[in-house]
Amino acid sequence: MTSTANRPHVVKDAKGKRPQFYEAPGMDQAMSMILVLANEISVLHDRLDSVERYAKTTGLDLAAGVETLVLDQEALEARETWRQDFLDRIFYLMRKEAREAAEADTKERYSRTIEEIAEA
Amino acid sequence: MLNTFQQQAHPALPTATHDEASRQEFTKSFKNFIQQKLLPGLTPIYRNRVAPAFEAQHGRAPGDRRDIRAGMVRDLYFQHYASANRVAQELLWEATNISIDRQLPDLIDRAAELSAKSGAVLDIPDDFAVPRYITALDIHCMPGGYATEVTKNDISVGALYDRGVYLYAMGYMGPLNDDMGRSVCNYLKRRMPDFAPKRILDMGCTVGHATLPYKELFPDAEVWGIDVGGPCVRYAHARAAGLGLEVNFAQMNAEETRFPDGHFDLVVSHILLHETSAKAMPRIFKECHRLLAPGGLMIHADLPPFDLMDPFTQFILDNETWYNNEPFWGAMREMDQFALAEKAGFDRAEARFDTAPMAVMEFAASDAAGYSQDAASAVAEREFTAGEYAPGGGWEVFIAQKQMTVAAKDAA
Repeated sequence: MTSTANRPHVVKDAKGKRPQFYEAPGMDQAMSMILVLANEISVLHDRLDSVERYAKTTGLDLAAGVETLVLDQEALEARETWRQDFLDRIFYLMRKEAREAAEADTKERYSRTIEEIAEA
Repeated sequence: MLNTFQQQAHPALPTATHDEASRQEFTKSFKNFIQQKLLPGLTPIYRNRVAPAFEAQHGRAPGDRRDIRAGMVRDLYFQHYASANRVAQELLWEATNISIDRQLPDLIDRAAELSAKSGAVLDIPDDFAVPRYITALDIHCMPGGYATEVTKNDISVGALYDRGVYLYAMGYMGPLNDDMGRSVCNYLKRRMPDFAPKRILDMGCTVGHATLPYKELFPDAEVWGIDVGGPCVRYAHARAAGLGLEVNFAQMNAEETRFPDGHFDLVVSHILLHETSAKAMPRIFKECHRLLAPGGLMIHADLPPFDLMDPFTQFILDNETWYNNEPFWGAMREMDQFALAEKAGFDRAEARFDTAPMAVMEFAASDAAGYSQDAASAVAEREFTAGEYAPGGGWEVFIAQKQMTVAAKDAA
């Protein structure tokens, strides 16, 4: 439970049955996970690059410093929270699929919407 | 040419931490990669792999976009392309939503403060009915769509659109996402230098990004933006105030507004029509006619009709219908806008499609990062490529003029 649990939050998933692009079961989920991971690797890359660039301007030897760092309780909790949020994003399609199942949303409803909306 | 376009900060826009900004920047890079590196491969895949297979199976070449689609969806290259496109779209909203959710209560307060400082009207009725073509699916996969409110005075989907659409357009809409409005304004200034509208209406304005250039270019005009999304116009009002412009916004349906007859000299819309329906579009044209003063102009900047393109181009564009929650995207391109204009009361002979050149060159003078002269030129001088954002150097506009009264016409 985080401190923001009781305030309003944005809508996480878009309404409308998600198309399946691959014939192999699970492939769509796998692709989305891989691409989220790619996104976060890119973020990480940028962050390290920023850190090194900034440190360089101050003459600070960060590389040596991180090798001696010991994580305290606060740091352990912060990192675990981060990892749980990270996993929640990797599995975003499972979240959407469960919601579509719960709301019984279908491809047929999507096709019907196109037809109904095109009716003059 | 590397795309390093950066959105211009303004007081209503959500801020981003280092990692949030980086995450969002990746989604912009990813879209650019798909359009520059994966999209071109679809042509040889179709020509050399899918079309021959279709012909072998059916004994004839693919005839229309439906035939092409039937063949392409079975091809693994196309599957990867379409899947990557869809995931990029999902990541774009997700990455933006992370920063909005973090600062949501503050964003709502900030918007309210900005709005309170403005002398312009913000009109959001209590009993507004949002049309079904907006609520049935979340258009372009934007979570919550245009109208969802997660709390009182909510602006979250407005903020999501403002940042998300910048990433979607990869900055080609300019540092303030205002290229479409700016392009139509420039078109008017060049083609009709004496046209000085006193009242201007922008229909389906979402966050007012395309609305504001009209106030800039016609500072004495009374400018209104309307949209069916309450959180969008609420955000739009705050956004305009933050940018120092007094523009009125209201939650209204373009099919049936609350303005009197003949109230406006110019009624415009930007990428509105393809997000409505076959029932709504004729009603919108009629409402435009009702709202215009004699001699007033209706200008809709939207997607060109399918009959102007070859079937493969149609197929590429129609992917939005099937994979991006755009149910009217394909059908809208088959609507006869001349017939709609005539039925609404406009003179068919005077109605026309035209191209409003993109205003992107003007952004080279901007303070926002990435908009160098070379980068702006590279965008402006592109060839039309289906499946890319903002193909070619201009926007397709449909223009019709309300006739002068009989007496005025005779006198002229």
